[in-house]
Amino acid sequence: MEFEGCNCFRQRLVLSTLSGKRVKIRNIRSKDDNPGMRDFEACFIRLLDKVTNGTRIEINQTGTMLFYQPGLLYGGSVEHECHVQRSIGYYLEALLMLAPFMKTPLRAVLKGVTNDPTDPSVDYLKLTAIPLMKKFGIDGNSLEIKVLKRGMAPGGGGEVLVTCPVRRLMNPIQLTEPGKIKRIRGTAFSVRVSPQMANRIVDSARSILNKFIPDIYIYTDHMKGANSGKSPGFGLTLVAETLNGTFLGAEVVSTPQGQGNPLLPEDLGKNCAKLLLEEIYRGGCVDSTNQSLALLYMTLGQQDVSKTLLGPLSPYTIEFLRHIRDFFQIMFKIEQQTPGEDEQKGGEKILLTCVGAGYSNISKTIK
Amino acid sequence: MEKKEQKRHHPKHSGPKAEKKNRKKEQGTEQEQDARKRNPKAFSVHSAVRMAKTFHRTQDIKMKKHHIPLVDRTPLEPPPVVVVVMGPPKVGKSTLIRCLIKNYTQQKLSDICGPVTIVSGKKRRLTLIECNNDINSMIDLAKIADLVLMLIDASFGFEMETFEFLNICQVHGFPRVMGVLTHLDSLKNNKKLKKTKKRLKHRFWTEVYQGAKLFYLSGMVYGEYQKQEVKNLGRFISVMKFRPLVWRTSHPYVVADRMEDLTDPETIRLDPKCDRTVSLYGYLRGMFLKNKCQVHIPGVGDFSVGDVSFLPDPCPLPEVIKKRALNVKERLLYAPMAGVGGLVYDKDAVYIDMPSEYVKQQQEEVRPTAELVQSLIGTQATLDEKMAASKVSLFTGTAALAPEEVQENERQNPMERREWDEKAQRERRRAVFADEDDEGADDDDDEEETDEEEEEEAEDEDEEGEATLDKKAAPPVKKQKFEESVEMPGFADSDDELEKSEGEETEEDESEDDDEEEEEATVDKKAVEKAAPPVKKQKFEESVEMPAFADSDDELEKSEGEETEEDEDDDDDDEEEESDEENEEMEEGEPAKRNSGPDSGLCSENDNDDDDEEDDSDMEEDGDRILKSKMSSKHPEEEKIGTEDGEMGFETAGALRWKEDLAQKASEAYLRQQLATPNLRKLVYGIVAEEAEEDSNDEEELGGLFKVSRPEKSKKLHADALDCSRFQPDSSHDWDQEEMLASIRDCFVTGKWEEDKDAATLLKEDDELYGDFEDLETGEVHKAKTGNKDHAEENNDEINGGDDDDDEEEEEAPEVKFDDDEVKKNKRLEKKKRLKERFDAQYDDGEATYFDELKEEMQKQAELNRQEFEDMDDEARVQYEGFRPGMYIRVEIPALPCEFVTNFDPHYPIILGGLGPSEGNVGYLQMRLKKHRWHNRILKTRDPLIMSLGWRRFQTIPLYYIEDHNGRHRLLKYTPEHMHCGATIWGPITPQGTGFLAVQTIGGIKANFRIAATGVVLDLDKSVTIVKKLKLIGYPHKIFKNTCFVQGMFNTVLEVAKFEGASIRTVSGIKGQIKKALNNPPGAFRATFEDKLLMSDIVFLRSWYPVSVPRLYNPVTSLLKPVGQKDTWSGMRTLGQLKHDLGIRNKPKQDSLYKPIERQVRHFNKIQISKELQKALPFKSKPKQMQAKGKTPRDLWRPAVIREPHEKKVAELLNALSSVYTYKTKKAKAEQHAKHKEFLKQKEKQDAERQKRLKEQKKKTYRAMGQKEKKKLKSSLKGASKDN
Repeated sequence: MEFEGCNCFRQRLVLSTLSGKRVKIRNIRSKDDNPGMRDFEACFIRLLDKVTNGTRIEINQTGTMLFYQPGLLYGGSVEHECHVQRSIGYYLEALLMLAPFMKTPLRAVLKGVTNDPTDPSVDYLKLTAIPLMKKFGIDGNSLEIKVLKRGMAPGGGGEVLVTCPVRRLMNPIQLTEPGKIKRIRGTAFSVRVSPQMANRIVDSARSILNKFIPDIYIYTDHMKGANSGKSPGFGLTLVAETLNGTFLGAEVVSTPQGQGNPLLPEDLGKNCAKLLLEEIYRGGCVDSTNQSLALLYMTLGQQDVSKTLLGPLSPYTIEFLRHIRDFFQIMFKIEQQTPGEDEQKGGEKILLTCVGAGYSNISKTIK
Repeated sequence: MEKKEQKRHHPKHSGPKAEKKNRKKEQGTEQEQDARKRNPKAFSVHSAVRMAKTFHRTQDIKMKKHHIPLVDRTPLEPPPVVVVVMGPPKVGKSTLIRCLIKNYTQQKLSDICGPVTIVSGKKRRLTLIECNNDINSMIDLAKIADLVLMLIDASFGFEMETFEFLNICQVHGFPRVMGVLTHLDSLKNNKKLKKTKKRLKHRFWTEVYQGAKLFYLSGMVYGEYQKQEVKNLGRFISVMKFRPLVWRTSHPYVVADRMEDLTDPETIRLDPKCDRTVSLYGYLRGMFLKNKCQVHIPGVGDFSVGDVSFLPDPCPLPEVIKKRALNVKERLLYAPMAGVGGLVYDKDAVYIDMPSEYVKQQQEEVRPTAELVQSLIGTQATLDEKMAASKVSLFTGTAALAPEEVQENERQNPMERREWDEKAQRERRRAVFADEDDEGADDDDDEEETDEEEEEEAEDEDEEGEATLDKKAAPPVKKQKFEESVEMPGFADSDDELEKSEGEETEEDESEDDDEEEEEATVDKKAVEKAAPPVKKQKFEESVEMPAFADSDDELEKSEGEETEEDEDDDDDDEEEESDEENEEMEEGEPAKRNSGPDSGLCSENDNDDDDEEDDSDMEEDGDRILKSKMSSKHPEEEKIGTEDGEMGFETAGALRWKEDLAQKASEAYLRQQLATPNLRKLVYGIVAEEAEEDSNDEEELGGLFKVSRPEKSKKLHADALDCSRFQPDSSHDWDQEEMLASIRDCFVTGKWEEDKDAATLLKEDDELYGDFEDLETGEVHKAKTGNKDHAEENNDEINGGDDDDDEEEEEAPEVKFDDDEVKKNKRLEKKKRLKERFDAQYDDGEATYFDELKEEMQKQAELNRQEFEDMDDEARVQYEGFRPGMYIRVEIPALPCEFVTNFDPHYPIILGGLGPSEGNVGYLQMRLKKHRWHNRILKTRDPLIMSLGWRRFQTIPLYYIEDHNGRHRLLKYTPEHMHCGATIWGPITPQGTGFLAVQTIGGIKANFRIAATGVVLDLDKSVTIVKKLKLIGYPHKIFKNTCFVQGMFNTVLEVAKFEGASIRTVSGIKGQIKKALNNPPGAFRATFEDKLLMSDIVFLRSWYPVSVPRLYNPVTSLLKPVGQKDTWSGMRTLGQLKHDLGIRNKPKQDSLYKPIERQVRHFNKIQISKELQKALPFKSKPKQMQAKGKTPRDLWRPAVIREPHEKKVAELLNALSSVYTYKTKKAKAEQHAKHKEFLKQKEKQDAERQKRLKEQKKKTYRAMGQKEKKKLKSSLKGASKDN
């Protein structure tokens, strides 16, 4: 398959790895002043190479063209130094998509930036993606994301342990009823700044959320010494849990040192709470960041009907849907559900339905 | 014989039995207890161990019955059951098929080639396929068969093919197998017949399973099996149930029953060996088939599907299930390869096979006009298409040909020859290619189109063989196209609304079936206008019905037109009309849109990369949608209005008709739109067909040299955008405002709940259930409903600012009385349901096991799968699901090798096996393999082997290995004889757990059992880990104490460096270690050992050397072989075969040769023992100095004694005296013995008596003692009581 441009770089490589179709991406920033792939993309390819066996990668001199022939997903113990241009979340999102289909259970140690403003942070994925994965039958103690060290944006120095068991088949899901939010949890963290920052964040966030629900608990997490990475910073991750086990999250991180205006912890707390409200407004059974993960697992399920209710599709998800069609020839039935007149449950929802591709993990060994 | 009077039964009148009976009579049924109560002793626990055992056993039995529950994915209308009739040649396969067909359809099929599909019952269709005696076909058919009818010649017994086929079946998932014994009439002896039957049956059972069905076809009557027996067999087939097989339920597959070559005849003319585009037809089975997926055609190779479309079922089941049996019309038969099934549908055409007389009659009048008109229509297309069209006319022989071309044609094109087929009673055309000379066909002078030939070949191939033998050329009659589209333009131009509406009215009158037809027909028409592919044999379009719907211009097509706007390019009148209507719709839609305001931002694409065109269409869509949503909101009213309109229309005739139409049209459009293309879908997936067009537009060229460079800024930006999954929040939402906050209030548990889940309503319901009660303490009487409800409402009001649905409902009640009743009824039903649920939950709680739950879950899923897309139309459904099993589909495959078409033989099955994701790739496969125990040779590593794995048959080179205790994979030279071993091959990626079988050759029968090995795939990888033992040998070069310099093992210092620290050993068993390399000689090293070495010792290093698996993956292309030689495919030969063929004999090493062993006798010297030692030794160990005595020499013998007569007498007397004495003593002894015996007897008697006495005495004393004791006890007790 041939693509142009570096947009949706991860999607293409991940789907290619899963479907076994080779991919050629051309004109990667060819018109740019600084043409070719960026370091973080190269780093991502290296990570893919580490978790697979027999992958063939060809990149031309200028880095504007990439040929990727996927190998088999191998898994096992992997240690990877993620480039600090993007946070670990960038790599982790893709890794989570691949993790259940490995030959041996994955145990990856990713080093780099744990939190930055562009990508979903490790905490965020830990709070939202993991419970989502559990719904597809990937469970057990070994499904875990653990923040060993925290590293903020420019410097990095964080460390994350990701473990995931191996599955042969994905269960179909019927997530049509998000349920009502029963509690809100969160983590406010601060590294290399005063531990008081975290408390200030918590207070401001609570001030907004308390209007809705009393059951709010925000942990403060202050890492010190060797665990605190190389740059200062603080941030807040909030997650709302519903009765039916849906997790909707939001997060805000302080602006990296030396980039833009610094953010007051109070503002940050409020922004984050508002973001959470926005996320709740969008609603659905899967939060906006993990839409693509859920859709991928639905696609890779058995040949049964899977349904999920989502909030408005993010542009990333739309691209992802297109790519799923290209790689797996699966189209989703998209139905809109407009909320009723008197219902006050946020915006329009979208019901996505598909028949799984009948995918099975071909890497797993049977004895 | 006289019957003996039997004793009558006398009921008891007294005794326990009689009493029991009486009691029973008196108490009536009360006495009827269960056995457990009546006889509790029998059910009491005697032994806990035994109880546990029985419990375990019952549980075991219970558990054994369980299968892993699977989601039931069988489609509602399943594809025909594939019945493969298999057996060695001349066993009566074709006869059986013929009989079965006759049994089911009352039709006779003379020549059976290719699959034959018949309707066998109200719910079942069968596809009968005959399996010829080629292992390729056997393997392929075993993979697709649902039921195997295994024919066995009873007069001969089992043949190897039967067993081979059974083994093939076993590997690829065991389908149902039913044995059929034939030729039973050749066994005249009744007893022998019985015995044979029994023997065969039991052997069959051991192969299949105990109790497998074996059918007996006793004999032939007029060349057919007996009617009743065939009928019985048919019944068995019709009621047979099948279980799902893993491979088949996870892969789509099609058994092609029809093949058409779609290649442009021009390209074939230019290059007869060019790759062909072929369309294959058949029922889809197994799983959903996606468009553009990869398929494997066994015997040909891997291909990606060009296009898939579904066609109306050529052999449908009866539509409504009636109680009665099927009538003749419903008993359909479809076998295009055998030339049956007169009407054949294609995507864009309908073919009719017509008897030749009819063709002759029609030929002259119809053909020219139709052709002319068609070519006229065709010329409206582009130049390319015109060219194509002109070719068409060229081939059908209407237009003038250039003389050179004609000459060329004579040389290149196939000739037609007509032959009368006696059996089918129809005329057939035979293609005779000029270059087919070598194949044995002789060419005639007639000229005919290649394309037609290709098409026909599917049917004609079978005749070809016969024809070449017969060489009877029948009078040539031409087939041609019937194109009744002549009249069509006339209708098509008329964009008169009135006329159209009339058309639509008529359309609406027609049933759904007609709709289908219409659609097809219109599609037909389009295709024709586009100068349809010239490769049609007899194209016929229903001229009668055509006008009725030619202009009726159904909405369906229009919506398609909207979607696929490329169609508008070939502008014709119809399309104009459509676009007009579209405009109308636009006009309607747009104002509505303006009203609706900005879109809700449901899908926020960050930049509008879509083209203007698409935008337009989007707008249009939008408009449509909103219009429709409007309509939907007032749906019930609208219906009323609609009916009123209808009445009005009656009165005012034509004036208001168009309005009425409008409403209907709109509602129709709405429904269709709802089903087919929601707006969002368009946004996400775009317009499927348009993409290609856009791409081509991008590369617009100016003057052929320069490209137009457009500022595609947005697109480029898009292409290199930031890759981030975060969804930036909508800036329009301000979360400081109260309204925004209020808008998500209900998302929290603190918000308002849905009516059915609200705590208040639930409470209320509980009240309704458990209703009125009286508080005994206060004496208060609580009534259901009233108080509580109010209370609940108040609560609600407090929380939500009061809007209550219940109240509203009640207020509405008088207005809509009917509705209210319904509502109440529903409510009641719902309540009942809930009650039942609760009851079930409580009741079944104890018994619901994990298994039950799992089963339930699966059932739910199955239900959901069925329902989800049920009400969609097929067009839309196919896009979401893919083509579902049971559909009759047409699969277009580009770039097939030409041999597939030219060497097509319908007797060989053509299977399209769908491949899952990444199953098209090649990699290393690790498998568990076992040599088949009937194969009489073990297999050698690196000998090529033909494997059947998944859909594929391919040749590859396996390496055999065995896993050592430490997990090492050690290479084996040969497979073990009776054991599993590992094998690694380079082959197609196939899911683990898939079975495979291996054969050494497929060409001809060389081995007596062809299946060499079977096994299963364990693991897939891109690298291998097999190692081979390698011993490196060195010799001591200098020996110190325990250190030794060793040379000859390595060649360089570097090599040594790599092995530093490795353990080494000498032949004599002294262990050591490599220490360090020496400089001189190169490759020598210092090593230490546990003992001093000798110079004669040999040092060796045991190492493991990784082996690489040869990358040979050679698909077996047996279908590409010429007809009649399809079983002669031979791939790579084994080394042994090569040597045999080339006559090479290995010169063996002299060392390896076996020579007779000559052992020399060894002589040992005597042991020398010193004199002192000899003295000190014990006698036993002292060396024996004395020689054995040996024989006494003759001279030392003593002489014999000869008695004197007197001496003799004395000796005799002494002898007699001694004998008398012995006799006397003997007698005395016997007497004594008898006496003693007597005495013993006496004594015993006395003893017994004494014992008895003693016992009695003892008894007495004990008794006395006991009584005493008792007394004592009693007195003591008394004393105690007194104490108290």
